[in-house]
Amino acid sequence: MRYQHLLRAGALIAALQPAALARAEVHFVVVGGLGGEPAYEQRFAAETRELEAAGRTLSGDPSRVRALSGGAATREAVQEAFGAVARAASSEDVLVSIFVGHGNVDGAVYKLNLPGPDPTCDELRQWLDRVPARRQLVVLATSASGGCVAPLQRTGRVVLSATRSGTERNVPVFSRYFVEALRDPTADRDHDESVTALEAFRYAEQKVQRFYADAKRLATEHATLSSDAAREFVVARRGAAARVASNVKPAPPALAARRAALETEVHALRERKAGMETEAYWTELERTLVELARVQDSIDVATGQP
Amino acid sequence: MKVHALVLVSAFTALSPRAGAEVLPECAAHRERGRLAEARACYTAALRSESDALVLAEAQWRLGRREEANALFRRAAAQRPRDPAPRLGWARLFLESHNAAEAGKLFEEVLTLDPNAAEAHLGLALAAAEVFDEEATQHAQKALELDPKLTEARVLLARLALEEQDVKTAAAHLDAAEKMPGSPLATYALRAAIDQLAGRPESPWTKKALDRNPRYGEIYATPAHLFMLQRQYAEAADLYRRAVEVEPELWSAHAELGVNLWRLGDEEGARRHLETAYRGDPYDPTIVNSLRLLDSLKRFRTFRTRRGILRLHEKEAELMRPYVEELLEKAIDAYQAKYQFTVPRPVQLEVYPDHEDFAVRTLGLPGLGALGVSFGHVVAMDSPSGRPPGSFHWGSTLWHELNHVFVLESTRHRAPRWISEGLAVYEESLAGEGWGDHLTPDVIEAIREKKLLPIVLLDRGFVRPDYPGQVAVSYYQAGAVCEMIAREWGFPKLLAMLRAYTDGRATPEIVETELGLTAERFDERFRQFLAARTGAIVAAFEPEWKPLMKKIAALREEKKLAEAVEPARRARDLYPEYVDEGNAYELLADAAFERGDKAGAAAELDAYRKAGGRDPAVLKRLAAWCVELGRKDQAQHVLEQLLWIRPGDEELHVRLGDLLLEAKKPQPALRELQSVLALQPLDPVDAHYKLALAYHQLQDRARTREHVLQALEEAPGYRPAQKLLLEIHDDHDPD
Repeated sequence: MRYQHLLRAGALIAALQPAALARAEVHFVVVGGLGGEPAYEQRFAAETRELEAAGRTLSGDPSRVRALSGGAATREAVQEAFGAVARAASSEDVLVSIFVGHGNVDGAVYKLNLPGPDPTCDELRQWLDRVPARRQLVVLATSASGGCVAPLQRTGRVVLSATRSGTERNVPVFSRYFVEALRDPTADRDHDESVTALEAFRYAEQKVQRFYADAKRLATEHATLSSDAAREFVVARRGAAARVASNVKPAPPALAARRAALETEVHALRERKAGMETEAYWTELERTLVELARVQDSIDVATGQP
Repeated sequence: MKVHALVLVSAFTALSPRAGAEVLPECAAHRERGRLAEARACYTAALRSESDALVLAEAQWRLGRREEANALFRRAAAQRPRDPAPRLGWARLFLESHNAAEAGKLFEEVLTLDPNAAEAHLGLALAAAEVFDEEATQHAQKALELDPKLTEARVLLARLALEEQDVKTAAAHLDAAEKMPGSPLATYALRAAIDQLAGRPESPWTKKALDRNPRYGEIYATPAHLFMLQRQYAEAADLYRRAVEVEPELWSAHAELGVNLWRLGDEEGARRHLETAYRGDPYDPTIVNSLRLLDSLKRFRTFRTRRGILRLHEKEAELMRPYVEELLEKAIDAYQAKYQFTVPRPVQLEVYPDHEDFAVRTLGLPGLGALGVSFGHVVAMDSPSGRPPGSFHWGSTLWHELNHVFVLESTRHRAPRWISEGLAVYEESLAGEGWGDHLTPDVIEAIREKKLLPIVLLDRGFVRPDYPGQVAVSYYQAGAVCEMIAREWGFPKLLAMLRAYTDGRATPEIVETELGLTAERFDERFRQFLAARTGAIVAAFEPEWKPLMKKIAALREEKKLAEAVEPARRARDLYPEYVDEGNAYELLADAAFERGDKAGAAAELDAYRKAGGRDPAVLKRLAAWCVELGRKDQAQHVLEQLLWIRPGDEELHVRLGDLLLEAKKPQPALRELQSVLALQPLDPVDAHYKLALAYHQLQDRARTREHVLQALEEAPGYRPAQKLLLEIHDDHDPD
């Protein structure tokens, strides 16, 4: 059910037509860097495993998920992983790259700490640029990652970083909460059973703030987001949304179109809220939402949903 | 003019009898008699005629130019590296400028030049006395030993004795001081204090002092200081007010008057006097901190309750208000009935999310170890958000402080610490399961080492502890004493004792007349009471309990929970109050859970909770198990108890709200769900939806609509909210 609704909020963006969407694939590259000590080794490896599992659920094809951590996550191996995606992906596809671990800024150059030589920010950029997928999400959840945001930015690429600059050098807790967002239902802020990168980012950001407030410590990390287009990337699905790929009966086209139109109306109304009389706004919103709820009732009946 | 060191240091020691050889003695004599214009002229003339850096420093200091004085003292010390005099004067300047650390270094330097410098020991004593350090007495005694004519040391010993309410010793020191050289004014001030503390407000010593020096504000400020130490803030404020009337430039008295007025709830008066004090003494951190905090009060919101006034920081007012208000009113109801007393004014409760703000509110300085303080009808306390999560039972603290309100107000602040703290501790433990202070290893050690104080000296354990941890031990002891009296003589006896303190009677007499025992017999009876309660663990603590805990920890580490069960049970039974790190309850719960006995696991954690266990994660686990076992009422009860420990926990309110909604208790559910919203939740949609459900249960359609629309505004496709919207819409407009 709610196939188009899911897509509207998801990586495979609303502006695209279903035919185009059918061709789009999501490729994942997850890298867990060098820990340096057992506690971090274990933490980064565990986070990498969770991200890999989330990627597999999301992509529906394990071959499109490449995860490297610990001793296997060398500079060459990471480069090769991106090379493999570059060979497999089309321009319509989506690339989600997530890096956890330590990073540092050496001079003005960000480096991802891996066994052996550390790749620089410029090298990461080159590897990402070679992937033809136009829409790319990069999650740099390492220390000092803010030092690599600007170089990575380009049209169609959204970059999230755990820190706002290269000078925030302590190991961030952001990655822990970003991973948590993929399994915690409360991260799904709009309750559409899909967690977008924007939702996961906001969830992690809020959890990081609470972490430092509870610990009575000055925050040594401030996550950044290069664009609200992060809402167009789904990073986890739950419930019915997770079953979409399998065998849910699609909504009748007319009802689906009406629902999409009403959702668009709700969004448009929200944008006009500031300029409207309060009661007029809520009355109008109620009218639209009631109709949307009735349309959804009809869709549920048509698709056999409870 | 001869070169000497000078006197007149801190507020208390201003115009004290003598501190070594005097610099500019003729100028000092004018000051001592209150001839301030002549004194000023004398110092000004010295500035013109003298060239010695030490003399100039002295003159600048007395003319109020401390920075110039500081530079001159530095120069004098450099010019005379082997002479203690410049360092002694310089150190006194630092003391007066509230920099005891620098003063202490200079006094120590003097002692390296001359280990028998009585003045330096006296200086160290004064510095220690400022912070109620017990070493003050030792230093003063050493100073006197080195120089038996050092009057100021004798006067200091008298003051220290009075601070401990030891009038007899104080009087003996004052008798000795009167026979010594120097100004008698400080002696008069302490004599006046003795009279006033004994209920004789019109002391002949006051007149005698003012006849000698009509500008001698300390004649009021010294008694005021001692009233303040006895928490009689109104009396202290009244005396400080008189002090500044006779000596308007006594900045320390303005500062103390400001602080005391604030304690009494008069913020406007407090600000006025603190600002005056700041203009005269910008070096006093108490003044600066207090003024800053007064400025920051604009970020607090004030709420009137039925019988109280709440001041909550704007960032948590919405969250905290319902819980604080509920407990405040409940406590006032309970104490009003039990203590047969009505507080004549609204109780003002201030809750500080920043602990250092609370410390400044209390003492004017950061670094206070306390959690709450009562000034009478005004109470200040830490917010739970100011402490690490779960480390602070704020409900228990509030209950404790509100007991002080009743005890202090009903006795006109005459109850000594042992009974006011003892009653507060005792009442806390009755207020709820697991509330109050518990038997800690420190207390066990103190009992084992026979460090508990006799009843007549118990106040000393609060005011001037002899060993680290004695304050906490004294709280426990005082609580246990009150509990024993309540059990063995009945609670009304405690009320009778309070009345006797109000009448100005002393502890030995009160114990004898109200309880029918001498103080010594009472102490013996208490030892027996305590032995019955703690004897087993005190005896087993070192030889058995500690080794058991070590064994349990090792088995836990090796994940051999089954093997740890028997020793853990023994450890728990020996010392059931131990609920801190590594406690036996959690291990026993884990072991029960591991063998599939969830009910057994829950029972262990419930025992942990009742014994005073407060770890929010553990209590939430207990609540979750209760839900899984179908004991939703118990889960609700556990979560409600957690509200008094960690109200800023979003998950707590969400889970409690869910349970209350499910139990069709919409009114309490509303409070929890509103708390969720106040915490700026991760999932505001869910919070609005559940609020809509609660209002729907209350058949409040308007608010149901309001919240369901807010949920759907953010999440238009949220199916449960859509269904609720249709339900209220169809109910309202079936066509």
